Amino acid sequence: MQPLANITPLKPAGAIEVRNVGQVFKTTTQDVVALEDVSLDVKPGRFVVLVGPSGCGKSTLLMMMAGLRQQTSGTITISGAPIPEPDPNRVGVVFQEASLFPWLTAEENVEFPLALRGIAKSDRRTRAQDALKLVGLDGFGKRHPHELSGGMKQRVSIARGLVQDPPVLLMDEPFAALDEQTRMTMGDELLRIWAATGKTVVFVTHSLTEAVYLADEVIVMSPRPGRIVDHLQVPLPRPRTYEMLSGDTFGSLRDRIWRHIRKSA
Amino acid sequence: MSAATLRRLIVISLIALWEILPRAGFIPELFLPSLSSTLAAGWNEAGEYGHALAVTLYEVAISMAFACGGGILFGAVVGSLPRPRILIMPMVSSLYAVPLVILYPVFTVWLGIGSESKIAFASIYGFLPTMLATAAGIQTIDPQLLLAARSMGATLSQRLVRVIIPAAIPTVLSGLRVGGALVIVGVVVSEMLISSAGIGYLISRYRTILDSPHVFAGVLLVLAMAIAFNAAIKWIERKAAIWQTGTRAGQSAEETVPAALQPAT
Amino acid sequence: MRSGLGVKAARIAIVVALFAIWEILSRTGIVNPRLLPSASDTLATLGDLLQRASVRKDLAVTASEVVTAFALAVPVGALIGFLIAENRYFAEVAKPLLFFAFSIPKSIFLPMFILVFGVGFAQKVGFGFFSTIFIVIMSTTTAVESVKVEHLTVARSYGATPMQTAFRVYLPSMLPVLLEALRISMIFNLTGVILAEMYASRDGIGHQIATWGENFQMKQLLAGVVMIAAIAIAFNELVRWVETRCSHWRT
Repeated sequence: MQPLANITPLKPAGAIEVRNVGQVFKTTTQDVVALEDVSLDVKPGRFVVLVGPSGCGKSTLLMMMAGLRQQTSGTITISGAPIPEPDPNRVGVVFQEASLFPWLTAEENVEFPLALRGIAKSDRRTRAQDALKLVGLDGFGKRHPHELSGGMKQRVSIARGLVQDPPVLLMDEPFAALDEQTRMTMGDELLRIWAATGKTVVFVTHSLTEAVYLADEVIVMSPRPGRIVDHLQVPLPRPRTYEMLSGDTFGSLRDRIWRHIRKSA
Repeated sequence: MSAATLRRLIVISLIALWEILPRAGFIPELFLPSLSSTLAAGWNEAGEYGHALAVTLYEVAISMAFACGGGILFGAVVGSLPRPRILIMPMVSSLYAVPLVILYPVFTVWLGIGSESKIAFASIYGFLPTMLATAAGIQTIDPQLLLAARSMGATLSQRLVRVIIPAAIPTVLSGLRVGGALVIVGVVVSEMLISSAGIGYLISRYRTILDSPHVFAGVLLVLAMAIAFNAAIKWIERKAAIWQTGTRAGQSAEETVPAALQPAT
Repeated sequence: MRSGLGVKAARIAIVVALFAIWEILSRTGIVNPRLLPSASDTLATLGDLLQRASVRKDLAVTASEVVTAFALAVPVGALIGFLIAENRYFAEVAKPLLFFAFSIPKSIFLPMFILVFGVGFAQKVGFGFFSTIFIVIMSTTTAVESVKVEHLTVARSYGATPMQTAFRVYLPSMLPVLLEALRISMIFNLTGVILAEMYASRDGIGHQIATWGENFQMKQLLAGVVMIAAIAIAFNELVRWVETRCSHWRT
């Protein structure tokens, strides 16, 4: 299933390297350049946020890192090896809401990637329960998705992304469908899980506040064609607190990102 | 008075009127024989009706296998492939406007007046709506679910077995319900037109000798058959709904199947 | 979504190919030409039939039955549908009953219409009406329910009179659904009338088709099938064309 797992990585596990990546979508009338000459290095264990207006290709870039889509030009490596197809041992992906299978319980949803690999039932159950405990859903394993709130569903999704213990977790606007309060809480929860597991996280969002609040580094992208226009380090200490939102550092970073986005809109 | 109570009263009084009006002579027994004389007529000829029912059920069962099997299979293929869908679906729904009953004489010329022509006609009669319902339903499968499965490294066959089939079950059931009801209509109508056996044949034969109670006994038997079939599918749908509620794929069949796909005549 | 020229060409190609296969099967004798006369023969027969006074008369009879049944069923059904949709209590009482009446096979009641009306115009119209009315009622309630509460609130807050609300909010909102309802009702209506003619009748095109079938006149029978199919599809496409014109603002 995963021939690439046997290659000894030159880079430490969890490093992401994006080199001169371009993506062109062909439609019947014209070619649309979705991404142009994008290069990016993510060191292991960093929390990196991709932010930009709609159509800047941030989700496309994420899908390519997940092996769900192939770039037209350039190279992408995860833990030192290219990713021509999805490899859940190296990369876990968390989508927007509604990507849980409604006919499976929370536990079975988390077990799903393990079941695909034919791992024994008892082993699966233990690992799924551990993952659910990690995301704070101990005791909710027997519920179906429709019996869970939006925030809880996303916790299940995160548990599913982490259950095979991949060094990289990719998140595509995971909290976009949640209300503001749940969103804040989930942000804190994600930071807690991240601190506990030491994963490399690449997180796509529309929200500037969310971007600065969560990230070690923020990558700002612009549309038509999608490219990186800024790469900011967030010097705020960890753990992040609610009070930082009203501080000067936070404000000036947010402001800097907003200027880029306004220019490109 | 609650709506349900009034509804029950209406149903009960309709049944009572069915008994009283013909008995009291307000409606000629030729037009509408009373409930009791209808039941008595059916009871007295129970053997004949039983034999006719067996013939009809045999034809219904075989037609259903053809119509629903073919309709679900073909609908699933057409529904999940975008190009054939755009090409074929409008043609199929145009075809749906044709009163298919005009094909029945063609089948009697080709296949005779035995069971074969009934089965051929009823299969075609049930096929189109089943196919339309299935193709429409397959499209309601959330693409995020398939993307998520792919990100976890699911192979094509794993995606089919673990995602598409479970997600398609409500669709298949509503296809079965629509197609099955039409198959019953198709078999009975063709028996009424030209045949030598079956409930439809009994209805027509008793009609020509103006024996209303026996006509109505046959009508009641067909009604019972249609109602029993509907109830059986509803029961299965409820069972399946336990793990489907609250999702796009789990919308009740009434909502996803347009009114046009319900039994014609 | 508009389908491109290529798609239209492909569709025409499929229809032509079907006719070509039909022609070849019959001409080469793979299928006995007496059971399946060739497509060209059938079309020639169709041209012949259309010249015949008797066939024209049958078509006229059927058309008058269809139009009468339709003209009765649509207003009556629409009125009942409105009353049900506008009154919550009435709707709760009637809807399950209607759903039931809608889902049971109508054709088994055909003998009752013969017992009551005899064999003739009234029986065809009666059965056509009976086959159509339930779908009209159901579609009308759907159409009324498709009017958005928000739009009505906006109209009220700007002081629209009931007349203005009816013509400026209800009608435009309901138009696409109503047209769709009209189209589907016509399918039910046509099927009902033709079935009634095939079952027991002295005239009408359905009766004629049944007779050709009983006499093994395959050329005439197939020509009749092609004729009815063409008329039904043409009507269907016409209404659909109007639908797309009227619902361009719909997403």
